[in-house]
Parts: sequence; structure tokens; C-alpha cells
Amino acid sequence: TELRLSHQWSNQDIRHQVAQMVADGVAEADVDLEIKIFPSRSLFKPREQYRPLTRGQLDMTVLPLSYAGGQQPAFNLTLMPGLVKNHDHAARLSASPYMAALEEKMAEDDVMVLVHGYLAGGFVGKDKCITSPADVDGLQTRAAGKAFEQMLAGANASITSMASSEIYNAMQTGILNAANTSSSSFVSYRIYEQVSCYTPATEDFALWFMYQPLLMNKSTFEGLSEEQQNALLAAAEKAEAFYLEEAKKQDAASVKVFEDAGVEIAAMTAEDFEEWRALAQETSYKAFVEDVPDGQALLDMALAVE
Amino acid sequence: MDPILLGGIVALATILVLFSGVSVALGLLIVSTGFLLIFDGLRSLELIPEILFGKLDNFALLAIPMFIIMGSSIASTRAGADLYEALERWLTRVPGGLVISNLGACALFSAMSGSSPATCAAIGKMGIPEMRKRGYPDGVAAGSIAAGGTLGILIPPSVTMIVYGIATETSIGRLFLAGVIPGLLLVGLFMAWSLYSTWKSGDQMLLASRVYSWKEKFEILPRVLPFLAIIVGVLYAMYGGIATPSETAAVGALLCLLIAIIIYKLWNPKDLWVVLRDSTKESVMIMFIIAAAGVFSYMLSSLFITQAIAEWIGTLDVNRWVLMGFVMLFLLVAGFFLPPVAVILMAAPILLPIITTAGFDPIWFAVVLTINMEIGLISPPVGLNLYVINGIAPDISLKTILKGSLPFVACMVIAIILLCFFPGIATWLPDVIMGEAV
Amino acid sequence: MQRSPQCSETLTSKRKIDMAGQSSAVTARTGNNPFLRGVAVLSTLAGWCSAAMIVAAVAITCQMIFVRFVLNQSTVWQTEAVIYLAIGATLVGLPYVQQLRGHVNVDLIPLALSPGARYYMYILTMTLSIVMVAIVLFYGFEHWHLAYERNWKSDTIWAVRLWIPYLAIPVGFGLFLLQLIADLVAVLLKIDTPFGLEDE
Ligand code: NA
Ligand code: NA
Repeated sequence: TELRLSHQWSNQDIRHQVAQMVADGVAEADVDLEIKIFPSRSLFKPREQYRPLTRGQLDMTVLPLSYAGGQQPAFNLTLMPGLVKNHDHAARLSASPYMAALEEKMAEDDVMVLVHGYLAGGFVGKDKCITSPADVDGLQTRAAGKAFEQMLAGANASITSMASSEIYNAMQTGILNAANTSSSSFVSYRIYEQVSCYTPATEDFALWFMYQPLLMNKSTFEGLSEEQQNALLAAAEKAEAFYLEEAKKQDAASVKVFEDAGVEIAAMTAEDFEEWRALAQETSYKAFVEDVPDGQALLDMALAVE
Repeated sequence: MDPILLGGIVALATILVLFSGVSVALGLLIVSTGFLLIFDGLRSLELIPEILFGKLDNFALLAIPMFIIMGSSIASTRAGADLYEALERWLTRVPGGLVISNLGACALFSAMSGSSPATCAAIGKMGIPEMRKRGYPDGVAAGSIAAGGTLGILIPPSVTMIVYGIATETSIGRLFLAGVIPGLLLVGLFMAWSLYSTWKSGDQMLLASRVYSWKEKFEILPRVLPFLAIIVGVLYAMYGGIATPSETAAVGALLCLLIAIIIYKLWNPKDLWVVLRDSTKESVMIMFIIAAAGVFSYMLSSLFITQAIAEWIGTLDVNRWVLMGFVMLFLLVAGFFLPPVAVILMAAPILLPIITTAGFDPIWFAVVLTINMEIGLISPPVGLNLYVINGIAPDISLKTILKGSLPFVACMVIAIILLCFFPGIATWLPDVIMGEAV
Repeated sequence: MQRSPQCSETLTSKRKIDMAGQSSAVTARTGNNPFLRGVAVLSTLAGWCSAAMIVAAVAITCQMIFVRFVLNQSTVWQTEAVIYLAIGATLVGLPYVQQLRGHVNVDLIPLALSPGARYYMYILTMTLSIVMVAIVLFYGFEHWHLAYERNWKSDTIWAVRLWIPYLAIPVGFGLFLLQLIADLVAVLLKIDTPFGLEDE
């Protein structure tokens, strides 16, 4: 049997490596199962992947789940400011009843999770450091994710939307003063050449965490033999452990790259973090709860995870 | 089936369908649907509307209708004639001044128009009759305009560069800058050839054209100002921190429309509608090809043809310049028959990984590819610019136009060779202005 | 050969050339046939809508630059609005551009054929085109319907109900289908010639 896996990243990206590990693990198990990977959006555009996945036209994908937030508003919770404190907390969230509730929502779309995983990100400022909400006041800012846009707008930033590939040029010409996205995007788009300060995710505090699991069509999985299913699950378990370890390394690696480029590195204090979180509660959390019928229950479940 | 063999079958089917008279976009859809149906099953057809929509779901594409509006609004005024006349009055002492003026006007007009046939028509309407009146051979008159018009897609803005930028995810701002110096180089080569050929013909009349007084020379200058205003305005918006390249296109479109309406008095709703209608027509045509080519490349990828070809080329142990030679030959032949946008969209997803693996710069490649497409525009059997000239001057035979264009094709080949030896011609300006490539 | 908005000409046929942005284009002939005329009216209306959407996209983009650069305020909805307008302009414009013979094609094979063979070639290519457009229309309608039924939204602050932009697929391809059928009928009724080529 041949399964098709699509994602948007290059062959060097950690998320490709996770997919490759699963593909290799299944191949080694020798259970007549082959996973064909289509990297670098060579099959589907990033945001076009979820729908074919739900209908089984695509078997697997590595996808930021919030991309499907327009179809399942509950998924917007997977890119919510301040909900995840650090990578270990992220791992506990993945194993919690909160995630089980989200997986129920995915099951409605005939989708299941094979590998859980979060990646972190931070802020960059063209002229100054961004640590507390007061820092973004009046800046033209590009944020990754709807909830972050809501929070930053609450901090009186001016929000402008553009593809992450356009951040470099926009920073260079001065259209943009600040941006927020994942550590790996900051590095791969060489944003360090255009900014004066970087506020990375640290072991203590990071605002920006994005849930990016390896998903599979549920019916396709159930149609496999038990042997094949077990091989997939075993490979996925190994990949998940690798994903967590590598995700932690990404943040540190990005700091190194920015430091080498002579960019100032700033850190968020516990107070800054609480300030952001209080702001998020009034803006993005509030909007989420209003938008999603069982939103409050889901949010409480997430906040309950220690 | 072996993906490479399958690729060959797809290529044959595509050629057959595209030459059958069906529109290019629908042809691509028909071929894609056929192969998807056979190899991926009926259910894969469900995806087609989503892919069509998804391919168009890109902010950068907005620049295409905008840059087309820029060109067509200015082309429908006497701005082109003004520009041409101004250059002529100033270059009158230069031997062969008229043909030089024509080429210069084409180059300047290119800086406002994203498409080649539009440039060709805007300058040719005035330039060709004038040159013939002054005794220039028909071939030189028609050939210089046909060739000068092709600069529309090399000198920024350029619709084909936008399409390339989207297909390969390269920076459009960078691509635009990369076309500037090669564009000037081509203008220089064209001018050199024109001078040489008029000098060789030995006709003294051509060398000394009418003499203008200084008053006449300065009188016309204000009429060129709107042009400069547009070019400076657009450049400032693009590189001065006001807007991204795709947003700038809208500023350009608005500027051109306003200038056409206010300065050139294009306020008759009927005339305005003609501008808008023609822009809509060309934009929709190009955007539909982009959407359909998206389905085509989905089919190639889904059938693993794209990947297999890239792998196969990777295993070939050939010199990278031999590889580049074959790529260019392929592009040249494709350009003989197909419009530039279709060639770029079909070829870029397959060629780009091969090109970058072989160590070529995608920005440099875009320029070489564009010059290849320019050759296609003035070569038989299908050359858009040739037909435009034929429309302006129906009494010049296509054979004469073709013969007149051939030396300019040679100039383009020389430009490509120069670019191979000195890639900096293309990459230097974007590197200086925007920093080294990401 | 190629036909484009700038120029609809072949080396061998004697069709009227239309120069860039100038003379009137070669358009679908309708004769006195009420069906053909009705379709022509619909396609023209679609063309106006398409042109209006392009103009709106220009205006909104300029407004966005103004809001961001001069007022230094948020621009959250403009990018998305402009994208959907451009998509709408493209899809809804399809029938109009077909009517104006603006979809570029390469008619090397028809040119090489005798008038009789060319007639059957035209019927074959048009039938294929019509089937193709009908397929997109069918699945496009389903896609639109699903988005409507499940109330899908775009994942932005603006959260556009996606059935609105998706509506351009069934509408555009539906009218496109009508125009293609009209073109085929015009040739079958000898009101127009295959591929717009005149017999020598
Ligand atoms: Na141009
Ligand atoms: Na050609």
C-alpha cells in the first residue's frame, strides 16, 4: 500500500525529518506499506491540505492545525498566546484531556493525530526590543495567527497581513517595524539581517507556540491491516520523541544565528509574560470564547494543564 | 508505469491538445483531467475547483491586472507619440537618430508597461510610419519596433517576471531589478546594430534627419514629464518603504489612469471602458492560464513525473553548461509556439529544481528565460509582436518584418551569451539595492 | 497561431487584426439568434462585473497603502478583500473573454486542415472544452455548497464566510459553459466559422 504525505517545508526542516522518520520506520517494519512524501508544497499549497485530508484524497500531512481554524473554530486554540509556557508544558498538553477533546473534533472530520508536536517562536523589532505590550504601541506589525493579531491590536499595534516570505523585504524598506513568527521561519527567511532585536522563546517563557502535528486520514488508517497500523504507531511514537527534542534545540539554534549576526537578544520577564497573558484574556481568549460554542470549556481544559 | 515514460506521454498529449486550437488554459485543464482520471481515479477531479481557486489565492497576482492597466491606459493616449517625438528632436544629430529614438522610446515605455505587444503597439503606431516616411528600409523600421517592444517583459515592471516569481517563490522586487541592466544592455545592442545597418546602407539622408531648433527641443520636454512622474512615483513606492511590489502595481495603475484622464483628457467613458475592457481581457486570460497551469503541475506532481525528471537529470553526469544549453534550447523551441506565460508556468516547476541543483542563480535564470521568451515573441511560427507590427503596417509583408527582426534575435542571443559569462549583469543591481539573495 | 487581446491574427488567415488596446476586438457572432444574443448579453454583464472588481481591487489596495503609510493604522481586511476580488474578476470574467475571443490559443493543427476536417476538429475541441468546463462547474458547485452548509470561514480576523468568494466558481464556470455552448451552436448554425478562420 502506498500512502501520500504532503507538507510545506524543505527537506532540511525538522517537520520533514519527522515525516521521514515515520516513512523510514514503516519501511523498515516491512509490512507492505510505503509513505511517499511530497515536501515543499509540491502537491498542495499549505492551507489547501486539510480538506483533501478529510476526504482521503491526501493520506497524511504535517500541518499547523490552526490553518483549519476556519472549518473547525476550536482549532484556533492551538495557536493562542500564552497558553503554552514551554516545550515540556506543550508535551503535557498533548497528553491531556484538552487534546483528547480536540482529537474528537478532528475525528468529526475523519482525521487523526499520529505525531503530536509544538514549535515555538518569538518577536523581532526593527528598531527596538519587543518584550512587553507597551513596546508594540504604534508599530506596523505582522503577526502569525489570528489570535496574535487580536492580542497585538489590543496592545495598540497596527496590524498588517502578509506572507512570511515578504517579511524580509517589508522590514528592509521600512513598511514593517515588528514581526512575530516561528523560530525556524526567522532563520530560513534571514530576518536577522534586517532587525536590531530578537525576543526568542526561552525555557521559561514563550508566548508563541503553534501545534503542528502529523495528521492522517482516519478511515485510511482503519483500512490498514493491524500489522501496518502497529508499524505506523511505533514509528510515530519514536518520531514524537525526536520532534520534542529537536523543537527545543530550534529555539536555541535561532538565538545563536541572531547573535552571530550581531542582533541584540532580549528576554521576556515573568511580569511581561503576565501582562501579555492578561491582554490576551481580554482580546483573543474573549473573541475565541464568543466565537466557539464550547470554547470556554475547551479553554478551561487547556488552562487546567499544569 | 515508469514516471519518465509517463512524462513523455504527457508531453506528447499536451503538445497535441495545445496545437488543436483549444484555448491554452482549457487545453491544460483537459490534459490534466485526462491523466488524473486515468491514474488517480474519479475522486481526484473533486480537487480541480479547489486547486484553480487556490492558485489564484495569492496577493502577488494582483500586480498582473494592475501592470496591464498601466500599459494600456498610457497606450491609449498620445503619450507614446510624445515620448517618441521628444526623443527624436533631441537625437536628431545622431546618425540613424530616428531608429535610435524608436528604440529609446520602446525602452522607456517598457518601464511603464508589463507586456510586450502593448509596448510594441504604443511606439510602433507613430514610429513605423515616421521611419518609412524618412526613407528607412521597411525591414529596419518594422524589425526595430518588433524587437524594441519585447523589452516590455524584461525592463520592469513585467507580467512574466511576476508569474515567474510566483511559480518559483522568488522575490518579485528582486526579479524586477535584475531585468534593468540586461534590458539596457539589449537596448544598447539593438541601437548598435541599427546604427551599423543604416551606416552600411550608406544613405546619407538617413544619417542627417530634420534639424530642430533649441526652442523646439525644449518645448516638447514638459510633455515627457508625466512619464517621468509615473516611473519615479512607482520606483519610489516600491523601494522607498511605502508599499510592497505587488501593492505598488496598484499605485502605478491609479497614477497612469489619473494621468491619462487628467493630462491626456481621456475622460470619455467610452474610451475609458475600452482601456478597462482590454485590461480585463488580457488579465483574465493570463490569470486563467495561471490557474489551469496549477492543475497541470498538480497532475505532474501527483503522478510523480516532476520528481522523477528532477531525479533523472540529477543522475546524468553532464557539465552544468551543457545542461543549461539544453534547457535554453527547450525554452527557445517552446517559445516559438507558446505564449511566455504558459511556457514559464509549465516549465518553471520542473526546471527550477534542476537549475538550482546545478548551481545556477534563479534570479539570473529568470532573466535568461525572459530573453528567451522575447525571442519567441518575434520568431515564427507564432510571434505576438510580429502580428502587432503587421496590424500597424499591413503593407509590410511578414517576410520583411521577419527578416528585419532576425538581426535583433542575434542581439538577444549575444545578450544571453554575455549573461552566461557575466551573470553579474543580472544579479549585481538587486544585490546592491536589496542585499545578497536570501 | 496565437490569438491574444493585442492581436488576433494568424500568418495565413485574413482575419482582422486588433492592435493593442485599440480597435474593436473580434467577438462572437450572434446573427439574429435569440439564444446566442441572450448569452452574449449575459457574458457582457459578466465582463462588466469583472472589470468593476478589478477597479475595486485597485481602489482598495491604494486605500490600504494610505491607511498604513499615512495613518499608520491596522490593515486587516484589505489584502484578503483584494485577493477575493481578483479571483472573482478572473472567474466571472471567463465568459466575457471567451466572447471577445481573448483566450489565447494555438491553432496550428486547424490551419493545416481542409475546411471540412477543420469543422469536425472544431466540434471535437469544443465538445472537450464544454465537458471540461461542466466538470469544473459540477465539482465547483459542490465545493461552494459544502462551504455554505458548514459555514466555513477564512482563518483571519476578518473571517470571511467562504461561500461568498467560492460563489465565483459556479457562477463564472456556469456562464463560461453557456458561452462555449453558444459558440458551438453558432458554428453548427453556420453563423460563425470554426476557430474564427475564414475559408480561403
Ligand atoms: Na516592462
Ligand atoms: Na515565436
